[in-house]
Amino acid sequence: MDIRRVELHDFRNYAAAALELSPGVNVLVGENGQGKTNALEAMLLIAVGKSHRAHRDRDLIRWEKDRARILLEASTRYGDRRLTLELGPEGRRAFANGVQVGRMTEFVGQVQVVLFAPEDLDLVKGSPRVRRRFLDTELGQMEPLYLHHLSLYNRALLQRNRWLKSSGLSPDDGVLATFDEQIAFHGAHVIHRRLRFLARLRAYAARIYSDIASGREQFALSYRSSVLGVEEGMTVEQIEGAVQRALERNRAQDLRFGTTSAGPHRDDILLFLDGREVHTAASQGQQRTIALSLRLAEIDFMHEELGEYPVLLLDDVLSELDDLRQRNLVLGMSRKVQTVITTTSLNRLGQELDDFRLFRVCSGIIAEERV
Amino acid sequence: MYGYPEPVARAIEHFMKLPGVGPKTAARLAFHVLEMSEADVKAFAKALIDLKTGLTECAVCCNITEASPCAICRDPRRDRRIICVVQEPRDVIAMERTREYHGLYHVLHGAISPMEGVGPQDIRIRELVTRVGENEIDEVILATNPNVEGEATAMYISRLLKPFQIKLTRIAHGLPVGGDLEYADEVTLAKALEGRRAL
Repeated sequence: MDIRRVELHDFRNYAAAALELSPGVNVLVGENGQGKTNALEAMLLIAVGKSHRAHRDRDLIRWEKDRARILLEASTRYGDRRLTLELGPEGRRAFANGVQVGRMTEFVGQVQVVLFAPEDLDLVKGSPRVRRRFLDTELGQMEPLYLHHLSLYNRALLQRNRWLKSSGLSPDDGVLATFDEQIAFHGAHVIHRRLRFLARLRAYAARIYSDIASGREQFALSYRSSVLGVEEGMTVEQIEGAVQRALERNRAQDLRFGTTSAGPHRDDILLFLDGREVHTAASQGQQRTIALSLRLAEIDFMHEELGEYPVLLLDDVLSELDDLRQRNLVLGMSRKVQTVITTTSLNRLGQELDDFRLFRVCSGIIAEERV
Repeated sequence: MYGYPEPVARAIEHFMKLPGVGPKTAARLAFHVLEMSEADVKAFAKALIDLKTGLTECAVCCNITEASPCAICRDPRRDRRIICVVQEPRDVIAMERTREYHGLYHVLHGAISPMEGVGPQDIRIRELVTRVGENEIDEVILATNPNVEGEATAMYISRLLKPFQIKLTRIAHGLPVGGDLEYADEVTLAKALEGRRAL
């Protein structure tokens, strides 16, 4: 799939701007604060209905204006799409090929993009919570039942923890067991689906890593469960048994601390380079490459599920990669997917790429430059 | 600053105690009452008081009733060997609308929820166990809500009733009947797929 054209009207710092994208590599170059990321954000907004950094639509509308409008034209294997999204004080209005779409859920997903933003480095550097959120969002998009089990798991966990905190006086009136049973059931489904997802992610991400790093290091990942005895390849029933046993084993301790010490809410993804855990020994560039590999694996997932590649948006990722990695990333990706990159300076990349479209972004004005 | 006259302010205060009513709606309701005829207002007030004083709990099934035992528990045509356990009085009405269930009920008045400070002793579980112990019962249907609290309550009760060696059943969940498959949400559809049966 390709995005052909993007128009921005009173969106962020843009009064009126348009981008005619090439199906290959597109580079937005400019100083900080000129609006490069805003342009990517607009594309993300059309694709998924959400911004990665604004919580209110008001923040997306240009200063002292009432409404903003984004237009995006794309060609997909299911036909051409002309998508418009208006943001205003009364809310949003969305149009697909000229027809108003009532619900955002029906509007989003018509074009697919994958955004890699600087914050994605947290996937490597951040706490386990960040990696669990990554799992939950990725799986949640693909498997509605995952979200179902996850939300019931969280609810049962909340109930159990509240019970642990307040009812330590009558430790065995059977209430705990009823929540344990549900925690084990839904928790097992959550873990099982995560393991299945990671098995696929591992293969994709390792290959992407190897491509970007020219095979210098081997990247691997594994699921670390706080539940003793959980292993890949287990059935849901086997995992359920393991969670049940963990809950029973930890009961005295859980009662003392008023919280549940084992379960998918305490699990993590472990990341390895050449067999060593990443946060102990990895350079900034290596960490960034890992974060990229995890995010870019999404591209292969989408290709597998939807039969075509999404559009890749790379926000300011080049600065911390060495020349080789920059080249491998951009050349490798642009061979299969349309790519839009933002950067403050082109550096050597300009010479390496033989075919790309260059746009200079300055104070909300986008101008195409000849290369 | 000008405020509402005392009676209006007090009425607003009370309306705000109702679920889903904020200050604006409460003010609207209060002024609406002000516009009503005195007879209507008196009838309204009486209805509210009767709701509290005119009702009691059925000694058999714990449902709310004007006279205990309630109409359902008194009805000789009812099958007294089956008990359907529900969370709220409203659930009895829902079951009755099916016109397919002819057994008796047991109303728990809630579900086990530590977050809301509700334990087994706070709902009518003890009454249910006594009832099953003292009567000839063949089957108990657990029709609590299909959420975490409802499941926990059903599970808790089923453990307590195991020793009586009666048939314990849980209502099924599945697709709404008469609707099109495409309108069902993914989870309901997936659950229905799990519970499929051979033809």
